[in-house]
Amino acid sequence: MTHWVNFVALGLMITTGLRIFNAFPAFARKGESFCCYPFAGTPIPDVLTFGGWLAGARNYHFAAMWLLFVNGLVYVTFIYLHGEWRDLVPRRGDVRDSWEMLKFYLFARRDHPHQGKHNALQKAAYFAMPIFGALAVVTGVAIWKPVQLAPLTNLLGGYVWARYWHFVVMLCLVLLTVVHVIMVFTVDPYSIRSMITGGYNDAKSPEARNARPFFWRRPSATIATSDGGFDR
Amino acid sequence: MNRRRFVTFSASSIAAAALGACDSFGPKRATSLLKLAERKNEGLERWLFRSDSHNRVATNARLSGRSFPRYFISDSMPVWNEAQRGVWRLEVGGAVRTPLSLTLDDLMKMRSTTQKVDHFCVEGWTARAEWTGVRMSELARAAGVTPDAQYVDFQSFDSDYHESWDIDSALHPQTLVAYGMDRALLGPGHGAPARVHSPVKLGYKNTKYLTRIVFLPTRSGGYWSDRGYEWYGGV
Repeated sequence: MTHWVNFVALGLMITTGLRIFNAFPAFARKGESFCCYPFAGTPIPDVLTFGGWLAGARNYHFAAMWLLFVNGLVYVTFIYLHGEWRDLVPRRGDVRDSWEMLKFYLFARRDHPHQGKHNALQKAAYFAMPIFGALAVVTGVAIWKPVQLAPLTNLLGGYVWARYWHFVVMLCLVLLTVVHVIMVFTVDPYSIRSMITGGYNDAKSPEARNARPFFWRRPSATIATSDGGFDR
Repeated sequence: MNRRRFVTFSASSIAAAALGACDSFGPKRATSLLKLAERKNEGLERWLFRSDSHNRVATNARLSGRSFPRYFISDSMPVWNEAQRGVWRLEVGGAVRTPLSLTLDDLMKMRSTTQKVDHFCVEGWTARAEWTGVRMSELARAAGVTPDAQYVDFQSFDSDYHESWDIDSALHPQTLVAYGMDRALLGPGHGAPARVHSPVKLGYKNTKYLTRIVFLPTRSGGYWSDRGYEWYGGV
């Protein structure tokens, strides 16, 4: 599955990227200041970095980028050939459905809204993920080859800005991943099996179990657990 | 079953995260894989390389001036001592028909180029200056480079600092042997009397305190390239 290759590739890219960032933890040109990064000059803690030193991190970064790139291509090709992209592209009504899902997650709505394979919020997240992945590659190429591919770098506002966008895209990927992992464990732990095997038991879907994060905090959630969904 | 799976998975994720997070150089066995990736990347970068791709800086762009970092590997700032070493000369040799030995005056009499360009450091910062010097392609023409010259080694009097380049990058029109910076003579902090400067290579490839330019049929590594930084270092 491309899912776990992605886990490794992104993990490597982010930790080595943070190491590279630490070599010059700011976005400005020498002798100038940059508007949009409040932590200029603050290095990332070493525990989050990988590669040992700048050269090591760069070597890993420029090797693992191929893992990320090829894996992304395989993923996109796969979901295209299998028609699974249809489960991810946004459709009319997704905004309304997202709002309903949000109400459900915030306990403003009792029952789980009806959904297809993914709910509307999931669709948005899973649709955004490969787009941010692609943006990470594009912004990365722009700071790798700012002279040979100058038009691309200029499109992103020049080298300093391209470096900033590369960082911001990384943060978006991290945010999506964190939310994704929290939701997997709190809402749909049964899907972990499907991330490895591809199979999925619909009877245990969050919709069938009326599952949401922190469900135990509200009495209304007893409806969900009385179905025998969660075995905590 | 589910609980077990959950626990196993959480534990392995945490272990994996911990492994990845530690400040380590990574496994030794990865080195050959990284070397392979570096070679493939060099192939791609050479394929992307165009000698008419230029680094263009707006004419009114601010220069870095005094904040342009100074850097050398010796314990103290390398300064050419004429009393000890005689007049500074730039030797151009190797795979050439007519080796050159140029004093600073000779160099300054050659056709000069002044350009405002970025300096891309491997660390991620950039700095801007206006460089004056002789194009490497001009020097190569003057020395009559032979066809077997595929690489160029730039050597210095900053300890044993040197870096070798592919010939295409060396002959790029923005690659200069610079003796002037921001309309003044190059200072000792920036590689006086002359240095290589080009926006097509990362900073560490741009040898300062230049003494010899050797055209070669094979590459000859470099100070930082031999210590783990990628040899090509193209921008």
